Amino acid sequence: MLVLIVLIPLFAAITIPMIGLRQESACRPLALTALAGMNIASLSIYNEVVRNGTIHYALSGWPPPIGIEWVVDGLSGIMLVALSSLSLIALAYAGPLTSKHLGRRIVPWHTMILMLVASLAGMILAADLFNLFVFLEVASLCSYALIGVAGGRAVIAAFRYLIVGTIGASLYLLGVAYIYSATGSLNIADIGQRLPSLMESKTVVIGIIFIFVGLGIKMALVPLHTWLPDAYSNAPDAITPIIAPLVTKVALFAILRIIYWMIGTETSLHHLPVLFFTGLAGALTMLIGAFLALTQLEIKRIFAYAGISHLGLIVMGIAMGNTEGFLGGVFYLLTEMVMQTVLFFIAGAIFYYGGVRYIHELSRLRGQIPLTLTALIVVALSMVGVPPTGGFFGKWYILLGALKAGNYIAVFTITIATILTMAYFLRIIRPLVVSSLQPEQPIHIQAPFSMRFGMSVLSITIIALGIFSDRIITILQKTAMPIGF
Amino acid sequence: MIETWIERPHIIAFTVIFIWGLYLMVVHHNFIRKLIGMYLVQTSVIFLFVTLGTKTGSTIPVLHTTDAVIDPTDYANPLPQMLMLTAIVVGVSTLGVALAMAVKIYKEYGTLNEDEILEELRAR
Repeated sequence: MLVLIVLIPLFAAITIPMIGLRQESACRPLALTALAGMNIASLSIYNEVVRNGTIHYALSGWPPPIGIEWVVDGLSGIMLVALSSLSLIALAYAGPLTSKHLGRRIVPWHTMILMLVASLAGMILAADLFNLFVFLEVASLCSYALIGVAGGRAVIAAFRYLIVGTIGASLYLLGVAYIYSATGSLNIADIGQRLPSLMESKTVVIGIIFIFVGLGIKMALVPLHTWLPDAYSNAPDAITPIIAPLVTKVALFAILRIIYWMIGTETSLHHLPVLFFTGLAGALTMLIGAFLALTQLEIKRIFAYAGISHLGLIVMGIAMGNTEGFLGGVFYLLTEMVMQTVLFFIAGAIFYYGGVRYIHELSRLRGQIPLTLTALIVVALSMVGVPPTGGFFGKWYILLGALKAGNYIAVFTITIATILTMAYFLRIIRPLVVSSLQPEQPIHIQAPFSMRFGMSVLSITIIALGIFSDRIITILQKTAMPIGF
Repeated sequence: MIETWIERPHIIAFTVIFIWGLYLMVVHHNFIRKLIGMYLVQTSVIFLFVTLGTKTGSTIPVLHTTDAVIDPTDYANPLPQMLMLTAIVVGVSTLGVALAMAVKIYKEYGTLNEDEILEELRAR
């Protein structure tokens, strides 16, 4: 059952070019069916995990420290559910946009998306440092290709992303080499048992640093974020809602696994300054990301920087080193995935309506796009942190964690970032609602059903995440906590 | 200090190739040269990983007979080589994607020099 989560999209990805060669129109239903199947599989797996506890799967029957192991616990289970549902909705949304941008490349495009989703699922499942590397590289290769597919500026952005991303992967692999030579193992849980006795070893410390820098490039922590805004703002609108919320967040999930499962809670809290440096990187990312978002003129770039900034907030929550911070970080991670998807849905829809890319062109759309505006306001409220949206509860728990840790600098930083978030969202919303600005000639285009559907479903999800936050956090606390809290 | 380095020539080789690759990537503005640098960095890490599994006087990890007593210290560690086989495949496919993109860039802009491309983008 567990293997199906990766195998369904992978096999569909291989089948699509064969069928698509004869009939292009069959690609989309096939891809949607595959993702729906994956969604059902991950939901049933998550249900099982919540009831019966962690599932371990030894590939081809080799027992874990020697063979490759896949693990689903409460944390990876809920990540799988989020991944498969969001990619399904984003692919449904992308329908009317793909034919506009891609033309005949639509067949390989669907293959690439399914490969990306399969490898991200693999990254979430992997309990093995090298397996993680392979899936990380497959996911990155797919995102390079997907970003560059439209040509023009996007190819340059994708090429730069490729070079930086490959250096990140090489550094990660170097770190794995160090850890392997010190511990003789690649299995995360197994390394976790061997590391405490090796804490004095410089090899281990340098290995951990290399792994963190490598994954930091992949998840765009400041100052390693330079590839992200170019890549996301130039990529086709059909692709950003799939790549933006998933790729960096799954890399963040990998770092979470490494901090609390490989290095171990005890060591992270008391022996190595892992949490301090991660938290520092998170705070920097949050502040600088928010400042840069405020200075941008292009809507997609603002959203890209908003993503960077909020990723920093999640990293800070995780680095607080107490239950509240951890739960808040994980909950905010889930909410942020939904929010990023909606943000890029909105960016795509705004461009679809009136060809609007920049803030100063937005007033053209005033009064024309009630649904998109509502979705934008919901996301903005959630990102600023106003109840009853999901973002409020995530931030609330992270702040609780910071207060419990006595880290008042973190509280201060989060407050500043919140004010900045409000500022850059007001810059986007203002031309859409304030009537004193000169209206330009209005445009009358009805958005296709799939786009309206995607935006409304996910806006409702954001509010639902807020309303049911209590229950979700209780389940997370029961199933997703690392050992040692 | 120097003695520990001389005892480990593979680390010296790794460091030289790794830094050389990074240097090429930072200094040159031509995309193909950047790619060469990137490939050197990848290769250096693969090289280091493979050297972790070597051992003087050891043999390949294949059993000749099942009668004799098996001594694990006689054999070289095969795991790093297996892992690096996968990493090489990953590296080659990355290079393939990168070269395809370079072709696309060259067709579109007529050059692979970063500065010239930036100028062209500004002019558009």
